[in-house]
Amino acid sequence: MECIITIELGTNGVRLFAFDLKGNVISSTKASYPTFHSEPDYSEQDPEQIFITMLYVLKNFLIESIHPKKYKVQSICFIASMHSLLAVDAHGAPLGNVITWADNRGKKEALDLKNSQLGKKLYEATGTPIHPMSPLLKILWLKKNDPERFAQTHKFLTLKSYILQQLTGEYVIDYSLASATGLLNIHTMKWEGQALDYAGITVDRLPELCSVFTTPGKLRKEYQTSLGLSASTRIMIGSSDGCMATLGAGVWGEDKATITIEDSGAVRVVGKQVLRDEKKRFFNYLLTENHYISGGPTNSGGVIFEWFANQFGEFKGPFDLEYTIESLIHEASNVVTGSEGLLFLPYLLGERAPLWNPNARGSYFGINIKHERKHFIRATIEGILYEIYSIGKMVEEHRSITSLSVNGSFAAIPFCSQLIADIFNKPVSTINKANSAGLGAFLLTATDMGIYRNLDEAAKSVTFYETFHPRHHDHKVYAQYYQLFERLSLKLEDEFEMIANLQQKS
Amino acid sequence: MNQFFLHHSQSKELSGFPHILEFAIRKNSTIQLNSLSLTTSDCISIYYVMEGKFEWIIQNRHTILYPGDVAVILPGQTFQGENDFLDIGTLFWIHIKVDRIESNMQMVLGKWSGLSERESLTIGRILHLSQTPVLVKMKPILSILQLIQTELFQQQIGYTTRVNQLMDELLILIARQSTLQNNLQRDFPQAFIKLEQALRKNLAHQWTVEEMAALVGLGTTAFTERVKSYTGFSPLNYLINIRISEAIKLLRRDSVKVTAIALDTGFYSSQHFSTTFKKLTGYTPGEFRKRDSLKD
Repeated sequence: MECIITIELGTNGVRLFAFDLKGNVISSTKASYPTFHSEPDYSEQDPEQIFITMLYVLKNFLIESIHPKKYKVQSICFIASMHSLLAVDAHGAPLGNVITWADNRGKKEALDLKNSQLGKKLYEATGTPIHPMSPLLKILWLKKNDPERFAQTHKFLTLKSYILQQLTGEYVIDYSLASATGLLNIHTMKWEGQALDYAGITVDRLPELCSVFTTPGKLRKEYQTSLGLSASTRIMIGSSDGCMATLGAGVWGEDKATITIEDSGAVRVVGKQVLRDEKKRFFNYLLTENHYISGGPTNSGGVIFEWFANQFGEFKGPFDLEYTIESLIHEASNVVTGSEGLLFLPYLLGERAPLWNPNARGSYFGINIKHERKHFIRATIEGILYEIYSIGKMVEEHRSITSLSVNGSFAAIPFCSQLIADIFNKPVSTINKANSAGLGAFLLTATDMGIYRNLDEAAKSVTFYETFHPRHHDHKVYAQYYQLFERLSLKLEDEFEMIANLQQKS
Repeated sequence: MNQFFLHHSQSKELSGFPHILEFAIRKNSTIQLNSLSLTTSDCISIYYVMEGKFEWIIQNRHTILYPGDVAVILPGQTFQGENDFLDIGTLFWIHIKVDRIESNMQMVLGKWSGLSERESLTIGRILHLSQTPVLVKMKPILSILQLIQTELFQQQIGYTTRVNQLMDELLILIARQSTLQNNLQRDFPQAFIKLEQALRKNLAHQWTVEEMAALVGLGTTAFTERVKSYTGFSPLNYLINIRISEAIKLLRRDSVKVTAIALDTGFYSSQHFSTTFKKLTGYTPGEFRKRDSLKD
């Protein structure tokens, strides 16, 4: 029997799934690696540690769950988070750590470019919002602030390119991840000369561009032996987590949108055209030459609720966050819709879409003497979801959406899925398998193998597990509070800047 | 509480305890200039605040102590009053001599202690890694100090053993409280990253699960379970992961010898390093080094 393995190199760790050729999950596993914040705006990971962790967990996975069941591994398909940057020298050795999407060191570079004529041009050409997350700005930052590393750099890679180079010896990048670097022209599918000039690099500093279906090369002999894989096991480059989560959520059609909420979150749509926006609020990434994945990302996802739980939850045993979150959700469900007029702005980490303001800060508004702890719990969840809705509304200026599919650990909590349905006033479906990025990578591989005729057919094969229908009375309540939420978010712009400045000084 | 002052060179009460340098209660009712200027401690100093408010600078950190708080100053750490004088109030303190200090500020207590060498090293490491030299609301420390006082003054049968036991208890309590205070046992990822940093800082050390668990403030069983579910690996396998990834970095620098890499990254021999490396990566260290240097 044949199987397909998907490997997702995520923000917090690596996740592996094995699927049979019908798309059933045979087995799955995961392992985590840390993120280091050596300076306030820094967010880095150790590339060697990630590589070893991936290799170690893949080996155990094969030995424990795949080889004993006599499965033959047909393909291994890779998925990775967007916007990472890793500089390597001529030997392929990393120069320092991987800089992740959450790294904000290029704040100033971002601001300078954003306010320029060129910034507008580059945004339209590359589809990547002008934001410190963009590898374009990270390279520029290195050039200015770490000229030695910049000069030594043979290639600027993404994390996935590095991992694939280790496994196969080739420097490659797929269009999906490349379209999130701020360096690729998403219309011509070539590196954008003006972006490269601005970053101060030439094309030969970048890995080779290829489609998501590409096999960069064979797995090196030594890994074949140590993993017990044959030379015929195909390595497939794959795509980004955002694109794969959208495909795996079965959302394929201009009237549908996916909502993913893990630590952070995003609202995404698929289309043959990009979303053009005067205010430069959307991303437009490539999946294939015919498919754009567009939408808006938020910093304020499950990580905000975890913060709340860590500060104000009741802990049964040491570090038992799961129990704490469960009981908080339970308490929240006993509060009426709208938390009796308590509102929460969830911008503890600044915000990307739709505000694109790193200075935004969180706040509770409307507290009165009758509010209890439980109202704060529910208001926190509602605030996180209002923020998701604000991105949804922005998408709806361009597309009319009739149904939603949600995934990710926070959005898939039934209480949250129902709230999303109520706030959006649209039916919300969840997929059976928790991980839609893994399923997306399976569908991509299976399509390439000819199991599905094309991605549209592959996406249609996704079966929904449960559908939440909007409750109209609740929607009416949320609609009123949402207006206030939006007004507060916009009105506080000056105050956000003042408080951020004060906080920086303290 | 009555004041007293015992000093190892003068007080017969301390004659059986060469490791207790000072033991005292002092009520300070006047401010004397320069009564507490910058000094570097050569012992473990534990101060319990009974009355008053003390503003001290310990290891360049400004701290304010209120009644019930405890300050712990380790050998080699600097210490002074905020304004170079001792504030008004009452202090209860003990100064404990350490037998020796190993590299990396690891303290070895003397033979008097019932703690195993490994336990005392771990306690030393916990205290050194501690973010704050102050433990707040530590009434139990006062009880132990009072028991030591009673034993020393009454000298009933078995008091030598009893005093030494109480001092061990004091150190254990301080170490446990220090981990508890530094991580609220809520945010595991945060506690774990602190541990990871401690491991990376001293990879050559032969870490045990007990030591790692102690730094997070958990027992070994709960710790192993947590690490497994959070990282996907057992604590020791996680450690091997870090070791191998660090070794890869060093292998890519041609100047470092393989044996040196093995020892630096915590393997007890180059043979042990080689087999582990090959098992995990499919290459021997030598093959791996060759692979990446043959390029272009």
